[in-house]
Amino acid sequence: MGDKPIGGEKRVFMTGNEVVAYGALAAGADIMYGYPITPQNEIMHYWTRMVPKYGKGFLQTEDELSAGFTTIGGVLAGKRAFTATAGPGNVLMQEPMSMAEAMRLPTVAVVQQRGGPSTATVIYSQQEVILTTMGGNGEGLRVVYSTATHQELFDYTIKAFNTAWKYRFPTFVLGDGYQAKMRESLTLYDPEDRGIEMVVPEAFVGRSGTPGVDRPPAQYRNTYSMEEELAGALAENIAAYEKAAPEISEYEEMGTQDADLVIVAHGVVSRAAKLAARDLGKEGIRVGYFRPITLRPLPVKRIRELAGGTGTFLVVESAYGQLARILMEAAFGAAVRIVPLYKPGVGVTSEEVVTRVRELVGQSL
Amino acid sequence: MVPVSGKEPGPIVQRIVEAYIGEYAGGKSEVALNRALELGREGRKVTLVDLDIVEPCYTLRPIKHLLEERGVCVLAWETRKTFGLGEAGTVLKADARWALRREGDVILDIGYGVEGSKTLSLVEGARTEKNLCILAVVNVSRPMTGTVDDIVEHVKGMMPVHGLVNNTHLGDETTPEVVQAGAGVVDGAARILGLPVVATTAVEEVARAIGPRDASGHPVRALTRYMPQAFW
Repeated sequence: MGDKPIGGEKRVFMTGNEVVAYGALAAGADIMYGYPITPQNEIMHYWTRMVPKYGKGFLQTEDELSAGFTTIGGVLAGKRAFTATAGPGNVLMQEPMSMAEAMRLPTVAVVQQRGGPSTATVIYSQQEVILTTMGGNGEGLRVVYSTATHQELFDYTIKAFNTAWKYRFPTFVLGDGYQAKMRESLTLYDPEDRGIEMVVPEAFVGRSGTPGVDRPPAQYRNTYSMEEELAGALAENIAAYEKAAPEISEYEEMGTQDADLVIVAHGVVSRAAKLAARDLGKEGIRVGYFRPITLRPLPVKRIRELAGGTGTFLVVESAYGQLARILMEAAFGAAVRIVPLYKPGVGVTSEEVVTRVRELVGQSL
Repeated sequence: MVPVSGKEPGPIVQRIVEAYIGEYAGGKSEVALNRALELGREGRKVTLVDLDIVEPCYTLRPIKHLLEERGVCVLAWETRKTFGLGEAGTVLKADARWALRREGDVILDIGYGVEGSKTLSLVEGARTEKNLCILAVVNVSRPMTGTVDDIVEHVKGMMPVHGLVNNTHLGDETTPEVVQAGAGVVDGAARILGLPVVATTAVEEVARAIGPRDASGHPVRALTRYMPQAFW
């Protein structure tokens, strides 16, 4: 093994994809499995550049199905394994991640969203929200962190490994093409220096002792012969997920107290939303800002509180209502009005958000 | 007159041909385009060539017209004339391939790190161009080129290189201290490599604070940031 990758805190200037590679390194990831796809390629490029220096592993597979299944293999063998993908690759990735969900395996996948449907553009979108939160067959028992800055890409890449290993649900870091390619400064650190204890991975297979005699049998199943058997396993997993959800869910908010209008956005678009709320506040137009950091599980309790006390949610996203859909489900029954600002496949500026808010405020006067 | 080969009489003022290469996201395009604009302001005829055939973002394409309005001829794809970016298949523009046959100064912006630097071999006449000066742009705030050893190893992987440019910065957080510290590191690497540091580059305000020379004695070039406008 080589030196410790990050010694002390260091202010650096990086692209988002590199940040992910360094985040995985800082988290002590052992191996990456992957298949190239824009806009996530530099995660692989930088990871492979660091592999020889720090004694890590990398396997380029023949497609994303294989990348996902080999990630599962790595996890079963007790490795802190991860993969990264985007767009159509994320579609293929759903099958292995469903298997991880069934077997309760701690996989980590980083997704840099690109435009869809199909191959669409290699550039940017927020169109993989439904796919990443609910894409598999099954019940969507997974964790999805949506990041907004390079610092968060680093922080949540580290955190994803711990969440995955602590709760044993497939965990995703959801970025996008803009975050992947943007250049921004951030602080790199060794998690240990900040008191973050990394959960030590254990091998799921090849354990010592006789199963059923020295230890409980290690059964990791993704197939059941009888409906009742499946129902029993699902009930157990769903209960575990619902218990963990309030501990896992995270959000960020600003100025939501008594605000009649709250701008809701996630990921990179939340930067525009936050800026808009701030600029409007300076003009004396009071609007709140709310951003779910976990898109799955959503911070349901807080969303319901806000939906009960706020007149309007202006939902801003680079997709055609994917965030709105999960938000509405969480807020179902509340009186809040949902107003869209959907720009599927393109970025949203703070000026556009400000203009839309002004229109809405004008209407209500 | 176009100096096609060494046999013809050269122009009285030697033309400047510089190729900017280096680590991915190290600031090559910003340094290259500012150099082209600087030469243009001196009344020289300048052609700026976008030779990034890997990366679809942060290329000169979105700011091509802006730079042309400022007096530089830019050889770069235009969105409506290209099909596909990145993996969808960007190809070398035909007039970029023949850029060195043009009259006047030629500034080559060669994107995408060590692998990208090989693009230079696709340019006709690059091997025989006697004025060609290949400069590696280094930002010490990029972890891959954060130490003397890292820079030495990185630059050796791109040889031939004729000089280094210290482009250390932290985006909007850049201070004279950040740039000066970078100058020291780049200087250390340059000594080991036996190469000159041709310039330290910094945004105008920081460049002004540092003065005409950095702490290691290298000339300081002021930059205007255009590349944030060139995202995708």
